Amino acid sequence: MLTAATNTQPFDMAETHSLQDMRQQAAIASKVFIQRDYTTGTMCQFQTKLPSDLEARIDKQQFEETVRTLNNLYAEAEKLGSQSFIEGCLACLTAYTVFLCMETHYEKVLKKIAKFIQEQNDKIYAPRGLLLTDPIERGLRVIEVTIFEDRSLTR
Amino acid sequence: MPGFSGGGIGAGVGGPASAPPRPFRPSRYVPVSAATLFLVGSTTLFFCFTCPWLSEQISFVVPIYVAVMFLFTLANFCMATFMDPGIFPRAEEDEDKEDDFRAPLYKTVEIKGIQVRMKWCSTCRFYRPPRCSHCSVCDNCVEDFDHHCPWVNNCIGRRNYRYFFLFLVSLTTHIINVFGFGLVYVLHHRDELDTPHSAVTMAVMCVAGLFFVPVAGLTGFHIVLVSRGRTTNEQVTGKFRGGVNPFTNGCMRNITYVLCRSQAPRYLGRAHCPQELDIQPPFLRPSLTEAQLEAKVLDNGIQNDRHRSQSKSSSDPIESQSADAEPPPPPKPDFRYPGLPRADTEESSLLTEAPPTPSMFKYRPATNSPGRNHITHQNKMIRGESLGSPSPTILQSSRHPSYRSEPSSLDGATVVGGGAGVRRGGGDRGEGPGSSGLPAGGASGYSLTGRSYTSYPSSLVLSTGSHSSSLRSAHTAHNPLATLQSEGTTDTSYKSLANQTPRNGSLSYDSLLTPSESPEFESAAHELSPQKPFQPSGVMLRGQTEMVSPGCPLQGYTSPFLSAQIAQQREGQLLQGSATFSSPHRAYLRAVSPTPPSSFGPTEVHPLIHHRHHQDTRVLRTPSSSSPGVHSLDPPVSPPPRSLSLAKSQASHTEGGHTHKPRPPVGGGTVGGHQAPLPPLPP
Repeated sequence: MLTAATNTQPFDMAETHSLQDMRQQAAIASKVFIQRDYTTGTMCQFQTKLPSDLEARIDKQQFEETVRTLNNLYAEAEKLGSQSFIEGCLACLTAYTVFLCMETHYEKVLKKIAKFIQEQNDKIYAPRGLLLTDPIERGLRVIEVTIFEDRSLTR
Repeated sequence: MPGFSGGGIGAGVGGPASAPPRPFRPSRYVPVSAATLFLVGSTTLFFCFTCPWLSEQISFVVPIYVAVMFLFTLANFCMATFMDPGIFPRAEEDEDKEDDFRAPLYKTVEIKGIQVRMKWCSTCRFYRPPRCSHCSVCDNCVEDFDHHCPWVNNCIGRRNYRYFFLFLVSLTTHIINVFGFGLVYVLHHRDELDTPHSAVTMAVMCVAGLFFVPVAGLTGFHIVLVSRGRTTNEQVTGKFRGGVNPFTNGCMRNITYVLCRSQAPRYLGRAHCPQELDIQPPFLRPSLTEAQLEAKVLDNGIQNDRHRSQSKSSSDPIESQSADAEPPPPPKPDFRYPGLPRADTEESSLLTEAPPTPSMFKYRPATNSPGRNHITHQNKMIRGESLGSPSPTILQSSRHPSYRSEPSSLDGATVVGGGAGVRRGGGDRGEGPGSSGLPAGGASGYSLTGRSYTSYPSSLVLSTGSHSSSLRSAHTAHNPLATLQSEGTTDTSYKSLANQTPRNGSLSYDSLLTPSESPEFESAAHELSPQKPFQPSGVMLRGQTEMVSPGCPLQGYTSPFLSAQIAQQREGQLLQGSATFSSPHRAYLRAVSPTPPSSFGPTEVHPLIHHRHHQDTRVLRTPSSSSPGVHSLDPPVSPPPRSLSLAKSQASHTEGGHTHKPRPPVGGGTVGGHQAPLPPLPP
């Protein structure tokens, strides 16, 4: 039986794969989108409320924890701290050539976020048949949660 | 508003994440080429002709300073020109599963207490985040859109606004430098003005002087914008004229934000690393308490709808979801009935046999389309209510993802009467279909009914004796659901009235009713009759063998089903709808006329109808104005939307119409499936 380890395609291919070999990766049942929370402005924050579609799949606490951590990470990325200020000055002085060699603060935090999401998926969401997609792929507009079909129940 | 065939087929179909290739238009490059030419050319001439003398006679620092300023200007110019301004990738297909008709054009969010409208972008297929705008030149949605600058041939948005601003500032400074030092040169060579050096210097001064006025003006304008925390787009469109800007954080913070914030990330062209995960069932499940399970069963669809309304989340048929919540379902296409208990009680089995006609709700005709203001108001009102509390049936049903085939869709359709403007033509689905005072008063009653039907497990239907509405009573077991009904007895009673009338209207279709609905109606009737003046009609209704009692729940089932029958017969007529309320009304009326409501208890029903009609006209401003024929036949006021929507769903089903996303063959199949008569109602 093929595992996802051999399936290196993006997840939009997973469904095709599963159609071909039903013993493989679970089929995608539906997708839920966690929207942005704009109550505090245009800062990147996501709504922490557990969507009803996921209520049967994951603990409310767990989910809220995940989203809250993500929100904190994004707040850190957008923070007006000394690092971003120094970065800005340096960029000005070097006519922005520093961007060619150095990674911006935001990008660094984005990497952290990607790692966090990967880890959450591995530990918490994949065992529950869910998959979080990094919101950066959707322009930081939504967190896409893919719900996989639980064939053990639908028989 | 976009028509039927509008935004659904956006231009961004090509690449999911990138804009389609734009045609090469040389005229777009003229301003940027001219700007570059002037800037580089003039400065080069200055350096060649003026600077040698300046470095000798004044100081060697002068050319260095001018050179540094020039380099800074050029760097900012390049960044402003070539940097991605913050383009949003196009939303992928699965992010927007809703049918074109059902989604409103605007979605409102509250930012620091101020309502901000997010408009649906038909090209990019998402609701534009606040401050985002779609640039027609670049054909992209840009985050924090400022303006499209022809001099740099690029949009100015979140990512490159800083560089644009600095470019303006540095360019102004550079112009001042060049003009100033050129003036010094000319003043020292007053008697040598015929030399080439002087001539060139004077020419450069002229160019500099010429550009100084607009550039300095623009710089001053942007300094003001930055200090106010506004974008050019907002300033020019007068968004915050006389109002409060929710995006400002005070002058100092605004300036700091612009100049010192970390560089925002690019959204396009990112390296996508697919996660390598092995996702195999069996999956872990959170442990649900009994109450949770009950509640889940109850409001399975409702919760979905509410969440959907708040976040426009899209989900495919809740097949897995319903499977998750309940014990293994019987081998049926259960995804149609998300809220139904899988337990094999008599009622539930009957329920599951009931047709998923609620899909018609989805295609709520353009009850809303006429008065956009009214709709917006409705939307806001609804959203306010819905956000405040987990709204029951209407809201959830309208947004229930599976409402393609569920009663909820009926609700959505009817509620949409209060929804925002049609997003892409056709039926509309209010984002916040509040149950209160919706224009589709009767329809809302219908939707409530339909919704409550689906959400009523048989046990709950029989259990409660709540007062104001069958809905509320049904939902007493589940707190969040009790909200909207509790908002006003007038509303609920109003809705119950509405509920009643359609039922009366559907009396004429007794033979077509499925008996499975009876138990629900019966229990609902029990709850309703004590409070409603409909008792007579209720009693009368109960007298009918197959009659749907005054219970709300099956409202959604009966009428749509019946309407579906009619709709099937009159599909052609009903397909006309560019979602005008009048057409569905007329179509329905045409459909209704052959079957006289003889089975109505006329005496009991009429006052009811009149009362309801009165209430309907109070709220149904749009429909009553657009379809005068409605008044002649009150009972059909509510059903028409359903018939239309079912017709539409059928149409979409049959045609695979592009305007509607083809629904899963539930609508057609279920309608057909409901031909079988159900056992009669117990009296």
